[in-house]
Amino acid sequence: MYDNDNPDDSAVLSAVHDSISGLPMPSAPHLEAITARGRARRRRRLGGLSMAGAGACAALVAGLAGGPGPAGPAPRHEAPPVHLAAFSVVAGADGTTTLTLYPGQVANPAAVRRALAEHGIPALVTAGRFCRTADQPPPGVGQVVVLPQRPLQAIGRPGPMRAGGPGPMRAGGPGPVVIYGSAIPHGVELSIGYRQDPQNREISFTLIQAGAPLTCTSIPDNGPHGVD
Amino acid sequence: MSHENTEFAEFFEASWEPCLRAVVASTGSVQLAEDQVAEAFARAWLSWRKVRRHPAPRAWVVRTALNTGALWWRKRRRELPLAGHDAAATSDLDDGLDAGLLTALRHLPGRQREVIALRVFLDLDIDTIAGHLGIAPGTVRAHLSRAVTTLRRELSPSQTMEVD
Repeated sequence: MYDNDNPDDSAVLSAVHDSISGLPMPSAPHLEAITARGRARRRRRLGGLSMAGAGACAALVAGLAGGPGPAGPAPRHEAPPVHLAAFSVVAGADGTTTLTLYPGQVANPAAVRRALAEHGIPALVTAGRFCRTADQPPPGVGQVVVLPQRPLQAIGRPGPMRAGGPGPMRAGGPGPVVIYGSAIPHGVELSIGYRQDPQNREISFTLIQAGAPLTCTSIPDNGPHGVD
Repeated sequence: MSHENTEFAEFFEASWEPCLRAVVASTGSVQLAEDQVAEAFARAWLSWRKVRRHPAPRAWVVRTALNTGALWWRKRRRELPLAGHDAAATSDLDDGLDAGLLTALRHLPGRQREVIALRVFLDLDIDTIAGHLGIAPGTVRAHLSRAVTTLRRELSPSQTMEVD
């Protein structure tokens, strides 16, 4: 196989090749997903170039006027859809972003975080750990996340169940989760935790203060009024 | 579909898996590699007129994917000081792969990993790799030799004997 290499080296290279070649690989995404990603990249690049001058002027004006910055992370709905074997992140026409974790696979938290960031959603994503702010979590998770199948399900911690309350929200099964990125307040991130068991699609959402100390546990925090 | 689009579609279909395997060997994560390779193919599609004339378009994709990953990790280190919160994401290749070999691959210096990826998974010869990386063939051989020395220590005797 590696005829031009030293025979001893060739044996090592063949062993490396065989090790990786034996692994099952996910099939290629649809070509349309690749070209859509390319188009979105081109739009971002062109938009960045044409807006650079105007942006610099606007920043100067805002600085002189002492005006406040944006209220929250700007949703970037020109971001391309991400369709991978374990999860997908797709922008909706109404400004929402839909995250789907597929059964039978454990999504790479870093890849999920990156995909959400490309859609303007600041998130801390963890597999096998569920993280929340050590103090009272920022309110409003019910306005940010809509869970699949079942209606809004806030795990009251503390206090009664209510949309927009501080408690974490949890989905017990597969299905698309709709995220309203524009509803995430400035300085706040969405903490998303899920099991490392590929058959257990339990996923938990809560809001956390960016940079605040976190408490992470191996099971979702139900709080004193937990459900499930 | 234009001729160029048809050509890119054929290239994408034939090259996705070998490119993905090459990047998996470097990243240790199928899911991360999948995202990086998808990004690299998106860039190849954007620059197809240039990439199609490249002497080794697959090498262009693999190198772009690896560079994308390196840039992303550098940026992410700055953004997330919370150390180790996703340590489990470092590898999702627990099944079917020699853990020592995987670790050794991932800890090779970047240029050595690149040479291994291009030589082993894209089956490029030394001169083509040298041309692609812009270095002398002797330098490619030196990187390959150092990488093999490191990897040999991690391979069990039975693995190397099987291919003799």
